[in-house]
Amino acid sequence: MFLHYIDLSWRSMKRTPLVSMLMILAIAVGIGVTMTSLSVYHMMSMDPIPHKSDKLFSVQLNTTDDGNNWWTEDDVPLQLTYKDAMALHNADTPESKTASVRALFTVHMNNQEVKPFLASTRIIGHDFFTMFELAFLYGGAWTSEQEAAATPVVVIDEETNDRLFGGENSVGKQIYLDDTAFRIVGVTKQWRIHTKYYDLNNGAFNSPESIFMPITLIAPLEIQNMGNTNGWKYEEINTFQERLQSELFWLQFWVELNTAEELQNYRDYIQAYLVEQGTKSRFERKIPQFNLKDVNEWMQYNKVVSADNKVLVGLSFLFLAVCLANILGLLLGKFLRRAPEVGVRRALGASKRQIFIQHLVEVSMLGLLGGVIGIGIAQLGLWGVRFTSNEYASLATMDIKMLLAAPAIAISACILAGIYPAWLVCRTQPAIYLKTQ
Amino acid sequence: MLSMKNISKVYQTEKVQTHALRDFNLNVDEGEFIAVTGPSGSGKTTFLNIAGMLEPFTGGDFMLDDVNVGTLSDNQRADLRNQKIGFIFQGFNLIPDLNLYENIEVPLRYRGIKSAERKRRIEECLEKVGLASRAKHLPQQLSGGQQQRVAIARALAGKPRFLLADEPTGNLDSLMARQVMELLEEINREGSTIIMVTHDSELARRAPRNIQVVDGQLADFTLYQNKAMDEIAAKAGQPAIEA
Ligand SMILES: Nc1ncnc2c1ncn2[C@@H]1O[C@H](COP(=O)(O)OP(=O)(O)OP(=O)(O)O)[C@@H](O)[C@H]1O
Ligand SMILES: [Mg+2]
Repeated sequence: MFLHYIDLSWRSMKRTPLVSMLMILAIAVGIGVTMTSLSVYHMMSMDPIPHKSDKLFSVQLNTTDDGNNWWTEDDVPLQLTYKDAMALHNADTPESKTASVRALFTVHMNNQEVKPFLASTRIIGHDFFTMFELAFLYGGAWTSEQEAAATPVVVIDEETNDRLFGGENSVGKQIYLDDTAFRIVGVTKQWRIHTKYYDLNNGAFNSPESIFMPITLIAPLEIQNMGNTNGWKYEEINTFQERLQSELFWLQFWVELNTAEELQNYRDYIQAYLVEQGTKSRFERKIPQFNLKDVNEWMQYNKVVSADNKVLVGLSFLFLAVCLANILGLLLGKFLRRAPEVGVRRALGASKRQIFIQHLVEVSMLGLLGGVIGIGIAQLGLWGVRFTSNEYASLATMDIKMLLAAPAIAISACILAGIYPAWLVCRTQPAIYLKTQ
Repeated sequence: MLSMKNISKVYQTEKVQTHALRDFNLNVDEGEFIAVTGPSGSGKTTFLNIAGMLEPFTGGDFMLDDVNVGTLSDNQRADLRNQKIGFIFQGFNLIPDLNLYENIEVPLRYRGIKSAERKRRIEECLEKVGLASRAKHLPQQLSGGQQQRVAIARALAGKPRFLLADEPTGNLDSLMARQVMELLEEINREGSTIIMVTHDSELARRAPRNIQVVDGQLADFTLYQNKAMDEIAAKAGQPAIEA
C-alpha cells in the first residue's frame, strides 16, 4: 500500500507540476537557508574531542587582588603567569599536563633554495601530543629528558614537512627558526580540528599551529609570545627575566584527569598551591579562587558559539516557518480540490486513516525532494560563507549528520505543514460529492 | 439483511430545511433484487447513500446484518462498506488520474486483495462490460456510456454481497441498458443483493420487487404490480419513464 501511495503522490505531483514545483522550491529554499546556518552552528558547537572532552581540563588561577574585575563571567583571568604555568608544569601531579603558548618564527633552511616564511608555533610540554591526540607521520614527541635540558628540537606538521622536505621523512634533519638551528624529532599528521579549543585567545576557528617546540626553550631563547598578554597591576618590566617573573598573564595550562578521584586530588593540590602563593604576598585574596573546566565547559565559558550565531539559527528557522506557511496554503488548495476524489475513495471503502496516510505520504515526498534540493542550496550558501569569511572557512561544511538532517528536517517540516490539510480532506463526507456528476 | 425503521433525513442549509426522507420503512432480505423508482428529488439517492452508510441519518433505526449502524464509528462503517457493499454512483465518479484498470482496482486495494487476484477480477469485469481493449485509457478518453460501464465494472469486481446502483443505465442506449441489466441479474443469481434506482420502468419491471419513493416516503410493490406503480407515479405528477 505504501508503494501505491508513493505512486499516487507522484501522479498527483505530475498533475499539478507548477504548484508542486513551487512547493518543492519553497521547502528547498527554506531548508537551504536553515541548513546553512545550522551547519555552521553545528560545527561551532561540536565537541572537538568527544571521547575525551570530559577528561581534559583548562586550569585558571585567580592570582589578582580581591576586587579585581576581569571580563570573564566569574572575574577569573583566562591565562596564567609564567611562574604559575611553569610551577604547575614542573609539578609531580598529574601525570599528563602542559603549559602552552603561541609564538611566531621565521622558518628557513640557511640556504638559498627555500624562501624563509613565517610559521605559527605552539610552545608546549611533550604531553601535549598525547593529551590532544596528535598523530605522527614520522618520529614522535621529544622526550622528557630533552625537554628538561631545553634541547632545541621541534615537531613540524605534515604541511610544513611537505613544503620543506617534499613529504619525505625529515626526522633528524635541521631547520632554522629565526637564528636558532633545531633538530626535527617528529612530523605530525594534519591535525583536523574545527575549533582551536586548546587556545581560544585569537579566533576560535583558526587553524592549529604548524610547528611545536618545548616550553623550556622560552627562557633561554627569550621567546616572545604571540597572543594575549594581560596585566592587572603596575610593574616595571625592562628585561625578559623581569617579564618571566611578572604577574602578566600569557600562558594557557591544560591537565588530563581521568577519574573523579584524580580531579579531586588536583583540586586539593591547586588549592594548596594558591594558599602557598598567597602567603608570598603576590596578591591579596582571602579565599583562593581557581577553575578547572573541561573542554565543553571551556568552550561555553569562552562563548565559542556567540549569541549572534544562535540568533541567526533562530532566524533561519523562522524563515523556514514562513516557507512552511506558504506550503500549507498551497497544500490546502490542492487537497481540497481533490475532495470529490476522496469522497469516491471513501465510498469505495477507504478509511479515514488510509486517506490521511495517503496525503501524508504525498507531503513527505514533497519534503524529500525539497530537502535534497535544499542540500544543494545549502552547499551554495556554505560556499558563499567560505568565500567571504576566512574565519569560518573550516566550519562551513556539512558533515554526514547534517546531510542526513536536511531531508529529515524537510520531511518533518512538510508533515507538520501537511497535517492540517490532510486532516481536513480525510474528514470529507463521502456522500456530498456523489449526488451529482 | 437490511432493515430501516422510521428513518428520516433532514438537510439543514442556511435557511431551508429539506426533509429528504421521512418515516422511511424498508426490509430487504438476502438475495433480493429491488428496483427503486420515483420522481426526481424524491430522495432516492439519499436513501441509497444512507443504505450504503455514506451519510448519517437524522432519526430512526437502521440495522444491517443485525448490526445497528447508528452505533458504529466512522472506521467501522468504512470497514463494513469495504467488505460488503458495492456502489454504482449516479454520476460515475471515476477518478480522473487513474486509467480504467486502476479505477476498478481502487476498492480491491482497500480490501487488501492480492495483486494477481485483482488482475484476474479486473480483466474479467472489463470483459463483461466490453471494455477489455481499453484498460489503459483514462476516463476522459471515454464516452459517457463507456464511463458508466467502467463504474459498473468497478462495482462488480468487488463481488459485493450488497450492490447499490444509482441509475446504472442512465447514460446507456436501450441495448446496452439491457446488457447491464442482464449483468446485474447474473450477479444477483450468484448471490448478491441488489438495490437499483432507475427511471426506466421497463427495466424496473424486470426486477422481482419494485419500490417507489415519493416525497421522501416509500411505496412498496410486490412482484408484478407495476400498473399500480404507474398510477402512483402519475398522481405524483411525474412520468415513470423519462426520455
Ligand atoms: N447535501 C444536501 N444538502 C441539502 N439538500 C440536499 C442535499 N442532498 C439532497 N438534498 C435534497 O434532498 C432531496 C432529495 O435528494 P436526492 O438526491 O435524494 O433525490 P433523488 O431522488 O436522487 O433525485 P434524482 O432522481 O434527481 O437523482 C432533494 O430535494 C435535494 O434537493
Ligand atoms: Mg439521485
